[in-house]
Amino acid sequence: MKRTLLTGNGAAAWGARLAAVDYIPAFPITPQTEILETLAYWVDNGDLDTRLVTLESEHSMITAAGSSAATGVRTFTATSSQGLLHGMEMIYTVAGWRVPFVMVNVSRGLAAPLTLESDHNDIMAARDSGCLQLHCATCQEVLDSILMAYRLAEHPEIRLPVIVNLDGFYLSYTREPVAIPDDDASRTFVGEFDSGSIHFKAGAPLSHASAVLGGSTYSYFRYSQHLAAQRGLSVYEEIAEEFARTFGRRHDAVEGYRHEDAEYLFLMIGSFATKGKEAVNSLRDAGWKIGLIRPHMLRPFPVERIYSLARGKKAIAVIDQNISMGKGGVLHTELASALYGKPGAPPILASFIGGLGGRDLPYEELFEIAKTLRDSAAAGATPPPRLLYTETELLEMRKLQAIAGVRIPFEEVHHD
Amino acid sequence: MTETAFQRQKDLPKSHLLSAGTPMCAGCGGLEAIHIAYDVLGENTIFVNAAGCMTLLSVYPFTPFRGSWLYTAMGAAPAGAQGVRDALDILMDKGRIEVADDLDVVVLTGDGSGYGMGISATSGTIDRCLDYLYIVYDNEGYGNTGQQYSAATPHAARTATSRCAYGHKGFKKDLFSILAANGAAYVATAIGSEPLDLAQKIEKAKSISGPRFIITLAPCPTGWDFDPKETMTIGKLAVRTGVWPLKEFTDGKVSHNKTFSKLLPVETYLEQQGRFRHLFEPQKKEAVLRDIQNSINRYWHEVATI
Amino acid sequence: MYRIRFHGRGGQGMKTASRILGRAFFLAGYEVQDAPRYGAERRGAPIFAYVRAAKSPINERGIIQHPDLVVVADDSLIGLPAAGVLSGLTDRTIFLFYSDTDEKSWQHRLNLKNTLFTIPVDTQAVDPLQRRYAGVSCVGGAARLTGVLDQATLKKAIEEEMADRSPHTVSTNIDHANATFSLLAQHDTIIEEGAAISAVGYEPPKWLELAPDPAAICAPAIYGGGTSSKVQTGLWRTMRPVIQYDKCRQCWWICSTFCPDSAISVTENRYTRIDYDHCKGCMVCVMQCPSHAILAIAEKDADKVTLQEVPS
Repeated sequence: MKRTLLTGNGAAAWGARLAAVDYIPAFPITPQTEILETLAYWVDNGDLDTRLVTLESEHSMITAAGSSAATGVRTFTATSSQGLLHGMEMIYTVAGWRVPFVMVNVSRGLAAPLTLESDHNDIMAARDSGCLQLHCATCQEVLDSILMAYRLAEHPEIRLPVIVNLDGFYLSYTREPVAIPDDDASRTFVGEFDSGSIHFKAGAPLSHASAVLGGSTYSYFRYSQHLAAQRGLSVYEEIAEEFARTFGRRHDAVEGYRHEDAEYLFLMIGSFATKGKEAVNSLRDAGWKIGLIRPHMLRPFPVERIYSLARGKKAIAVIDQNISMGKGGVLHTELASALYGKPGAPPILASFIGGLGGRDLPYEELFEIAKTLRDSAAAGATPPPRLLYTETELLEMRKLQAIAGVRIPFEEVHHD
Repeated sequence: MTETAFQRQKDLPKSHLLSAGTPMCAGCGGLEAIHIAYDVLGENTIFVNAAGCMTLLSVYPFTPFRGSWLYTAMGAAPAGAQGVRDALDILMDKGRIEVADDLDVVVLTGDGSGYGMGISATSGTIDRCLDYLYIVYDNEGYGNTGQQYSAATPHAARTATSRCAYGHKGFKKDLFSILAANGAAYVATAIGSEPLDLAQKIEKAKSISGPRFIITLAPCPTGWDFDPKETMTIGKLAVRTGVWPLKEFTDGKVSHNKTFSKLLPVETYLEQQGRFRHLFEPQKKEAVLRDIQNSINRYWHEVATI
Repeated sequence: MYRIRFHGRGGQGMKTASRILGRAFFLAGYEVQDAPRYGAERRGAPIFAYVRAAKSPINERGIIQHPDLVVVADDSLIGLPAAGVLSGLTDRTIFLFYSDTDEKSWQHRLNLKNTLFTIPVDTQAVDPLQRRYAGVSCVGGAARLTGVLDQATLKKAIEEEMADRSPHTVSTNIDHANATFSLLAQHDTIIEEGAAISAVGYEPPKWLELAPDPAAICAPAIYGGGTSSKVQTGLWRTMRPVIQYDKCRQCWWICSTFCPDSAISVTENRYTRIDYDHCKGCMVCVMQCPSHAILAIAEKDADKVTLQEVPS
């Protein structure tokens, strides 16, 4: 094991390297490209006995990832944002093939308008695909999650693709100290790839991914995929336990931070959650009883684990880095359905949307969210969803609009 | 083609690998071509398929294949072939399977995917020199959805989306030349009604490495509106009238396998199909028919000149 | 509500027939649902369509479980379990067959006590797929049996549904509908509207807690080759190719190669044999046989023809 500075992308590349992947179908997209470049460099240097092929699109890339896995090789791939959406037809399709591989998604906001910076709408679009999802908060977690993801994906009762998500820029281009496990220990942990019954070779006829006729047949396959995904939680917990024993780092399906005696909780995923923890520390110093919960695993959704952490709290603020147009935060909806009607479920479940397209989430906003929680709990009413946006931001926006030739046909009053 | 196992039609395989019981239409010209191709390819073949009529060859739990099959999606079959080919190579390189376990990777799509949605993925495989065979069954329209016009629909044909008096205003895309220009190792046209030619081309394609393409015209009783018993008759007319030249591209050169001192008039081909009936009834559209005939004449004149 | 189910083969115009009847009900002031139902099956394969009609808005959807009237436009389907002609019948289900076999014979053959009517086949065409007025003839009969649709309404419905056809085609279709409408005059209004489905005394679904199967079991994968041979596509066939071995010149490479469905195998002594479980009846072999040794006969007459044995 050596500890060094790695970007999130570098950590992802190391994860693939240590998992001894056989095949990497690739396609460049910001902010993921560094993963592909790093792996290509290692392949060219002979550091990695892997075939890397750049396809002509993510649609093709994900198809090739699925079909190579179906043929029986360990496959890794990575994408982001528009690329994930371009390949979305195949994301759903290959999950239905019940073949294992690991894909990294580097989260980036979706067009239009086009942006290069991070939010979670891309990965949320894959939420219902059948691919399992692990969301990372640190560069270390990126590397570790990839090793665990192969175990999860290749488990004979699961055999589904696993997407490991990291935030663009906040992790992808940010260097942090990362402990790189030893080759041997990693290989022992991940093990040999066994594609089981799904493989193509002479003398073993297999017609795979056939069409079905009739809703009952279709339902069986779809329910089976759902049940396999749900089974993923307990399988993951066993893997995480073994990982902790082997490497000394624990990555629970849901991380709880200073939650035990807390009255209020933040719920966040991804890299901003570490900033959320820092806000919790400051609030604790100011006398608040507040904590944070962070689902590391989003699919399957660890309902019971979240419930056990949330039970008995006065209020939870769900801070979504995504927006479902016309509804609001996706995680807020998920949490509401997970907790509704359960004894001791927090009476206040407040929704905040922020961090879209890389917008910062300043401490002051997190503090104010805590205050909103306390006021709402006292008043006994969930506050309306809050889109995090300040007067200053709108003022700056108006300046841009003026340059863009937009006429604002009304007077706005801004407070200083 | 001197070293062929198929000198005469009676040299074709006597038993058929593709099982009966598929949901293709009675008289399907595409299916007939595929069963000939499969007999030559042998069962150590994996077909990678895109959305089209032939997707329904394998409907759970029924498959006509003795070897393997993978359905992908409409635009994705060549990329699916890339993953399978690469994976088989990796498995052999790393000694995880025997060379004897290897499969021929064969993409099978209709014209909707082959001429249209999948063409970017197809071009990508040529760029990457992927070693595979791609068979297009071209029934000149989106047949599985009810024969709307595609990039392969011939000029003036009536389809579900060109029902006007004129028919389809566009022209059939020259996929053969596109693939050749892209640098394919082998491109051929074929048709099931000329089984010997088709078998020889499959045999030849099998002997070459790199990206190989065989575009088979697939007369379609349902989409072209003719009695299923006429499938082969119409196929033969497509060749005899010069509508569907049988040709090959290898080593940078195009050669024609069947040439005729005198072509039959194109009307003999067109008048047998409901999709062209509006060119003959209620009155004959002489100008359109002349344009179609002229374009065929021009093609064959150029062939003769070269 | 009237619940009427049409059975036919792909290519026999069942969709149009059901739409004409649906349109007629609509013109007569009814709320209507009409829909065809088909899967991957093609020309010649059994398909069905259905019509619902009621004086109040129709909330029921999907396939008709218990029809008031079952219309069959091709009597070769009646004996085929796969066609599902008898599916969901109740004591009060009435049958209307387009068939030259009489009512009594059908009741006897099917062991049915239900009311059953037949409409004689009004064409010389041997191939049922060429009987172009089967559907509209059935519609005329069905309209009469309901007793709530008159000939003027039927005529208007045909004109509207066949607006893109030639005036001659439309008028011929109207004539056929009128003929069967008159034919069944004495059975006017025999069909009664079915009642709503009772929420009392129903049989509850046996839901289970679905346990996860290992991925090897529950992937959409077919392990093993050639299972499609279990599908009897021979049921699609309305015309049968029959090899006359006394004329056969043993050029197996022609018919066996041209058969799109791999349904013509080559025997040891180089004759060919047609696999009737799978032959779809396209008749390509009949057309391609150079010695005209393959006959085309109507499927319903098949048992009247003695098949020649493959010469030894």
